[in-house]
Amino acid sequence: MRARYGASPLHLLVHLAVLALAAWALLQALDLGGAERIVLWLVGAVVLHDAVLWPAYTALDRAARRGRPVGWANYVRVPLGLSALLFMVFFPVMCGKGEAAYTRVSGTTWEGYTGRWLLVSAALFAVSATLYLATSRGPRS
Amino acid sequence: MIPAPPGPFRPGFWRSPLRGPGLTAALGSILLVLVTIVAVTGFLSHAAYQPDLGGNALVRPDLPFTTFFGWPSGPSWLYALNQGLHVNVGLAVIPVVLAKLWSVIPRLFVWPPVRSASDALERTTVALLVASTGFLLATGVANIQNWYVFRFDFVRAHYYAAVVFVAALAAHLVVKVPVALRAYRSRVVLAPLRAGLAETRSEPEGDVVAPAPDPPTISRRGLLAAVGAGSVALAVANAGTSVGGPLRPTAFLGPRRSGGFPVNKTATAARITPAMVGPSYRLLVAGEQELSLSRADLLALPQATHTLTLGCVEGWSTRQTWSGVPLADLARRAGVPAPSEVFIESMQPAGVLRQVTLSGGQVADARSLLALQVGGKDLTPDHGYPARIIVPSLPGVHNTKWVGRLEFRA
Repeated sequence: MRARYGASPLHLLVHLAVLALAAWALLQALDLGGAERIVLWLVGAVVLHDAVLWPAYTALDRAARRGRPVGWANYVRVPLGLSALLFMVFFPVMCGKGEAAYTRVSGTTWEGYTGRWLLVSAALFAVSATLYLATSRGPRS
Repeated sequence: MIPAPPGPFRPGFWRSPLRGPGLTAALGSILLVLVTIVAVTGFLSHAAYQPDLGGNALVRPDLPFTTFFGWPSGPSWLYALNQGLHVNVGLAVIPVVLAKLWSVIPRLFVWPPVRSASDALERTTVALLVASTGFLLATGVANIQNWYVFRFDFVRAHYYAAVVFVAALAAHLVVKVPVALRAYRSRVVLAPLRAGLAETRSEPEGDVVAPAPDPPTISRRGLLAAVGAGSVALAVANAGTSVGGPLRPTAFLGPRRSGGFPVNKTATAARITPAMVGPSYRLLVAGEQELSLSRADLLALPQATHTLTLGCVEGWSTRQTWSGVPLADLARRAGVPAPSEVFIESMQPAGVLRQVTLSGGQVADARSLLALQVGGKDLTPDHGYPARIIVPSLPGVHNTKWVGRLEFRA
């Protein structure tokens, strides 16, 4: 059994139980309106990460580090990564994607989000520059 | 056997010296703590909506995962804390998930893609785990920003995706906890975190360890620090809206950062007309006796004042001082001194949340009010004038505004 299946019976039973429960939940979800859109978002989440996000940041990082001295890159890619992360998560509010819905229910508008993101990004780069200066001019051991 | 195609299917493609079972175990351990907080608070929020009481169920009333306990009516900040954790820890999870996926991405390209039946089952559950994680994070992030781009019922889809997530995570843990424990025992998890860049080496063995690694450009602790900084940045960008008060403006990207006392839904949006809330307004109270009370009648009853936190499912909260008639007092006057529940209807003509059922325990709490004033002034139309419900630790939208009718049930 183990030789043919490749793992223990416990492994098989746990996976069968889990797949059955997951299938039940998926059927419940698909029973709602917009089944094809739910599937699209489930598949899209994987495709977006594995086929777009991961290759993009890997390629960018490799290109940026080509031929540069080790250690130099972190002062750029860490604040750049933080700024990109903030944009990736909060671009809907920055670009006013949900503003029509938000204004309709709350009666107020969104102001200054892109500006605050730029200022925070500027602060991140400035802190990184300060740290770079402090470490590159400090005593070397 | 067909040889591996060139590119990521060949082990030599992978160059990072950081990847290995130790780094994955470290990231996985952190992630497990964080997703446990997010999942538990998510299912607790589901319980707080008391879906087993009449008309409350947003998911489906016949669910097997119903509530096993009554949601408590205190402390008043409990629901706000629950949702603050759910949303802000949920944001903080994002960079950890990305780092965890990065640490194991060579596994996506193993060759041959399936080695055995057990391997096929494992890869299926991992696919479900990654898909449901991405789905939950993406829909949650869009929803707190009022961006309903997904065009399906958020509450139900998010709920069922969470069930898929928990199931897939359970199988993943059964398979991977022994692997992680082995990594801890062979001292490749914590000890390498003490190493600076100069001392950073590849792990001795493991299927994601690069066979011909490049020199390191960051230490493992440096990577974890950068990931942690990402988590902190995302949480800080929003958390001020969860705490409220003077900290609200610190949420530099939080969708509910403006205004001291946010409005979830205006009177106009709820289609409340001036005629509904004018002098002809009567609150109907049903029980053993039927009462019809004008706002002046309500103001003439003994008033109570309590400072209570109103917490929204979307993670923001506000703490205000409310005055009005205790619900328990109205129940007594309706001839039902110890009701099992109260059914509340808003005057708003439409919307799934125009009605709600609260438990007898919530009515009995002395701080549960039919509020007429907030902050020492009459409610504004957008905050529920002429009368609204405020109950400690109740999900925000269940604190019904523009109350038209209360029915106390024995």
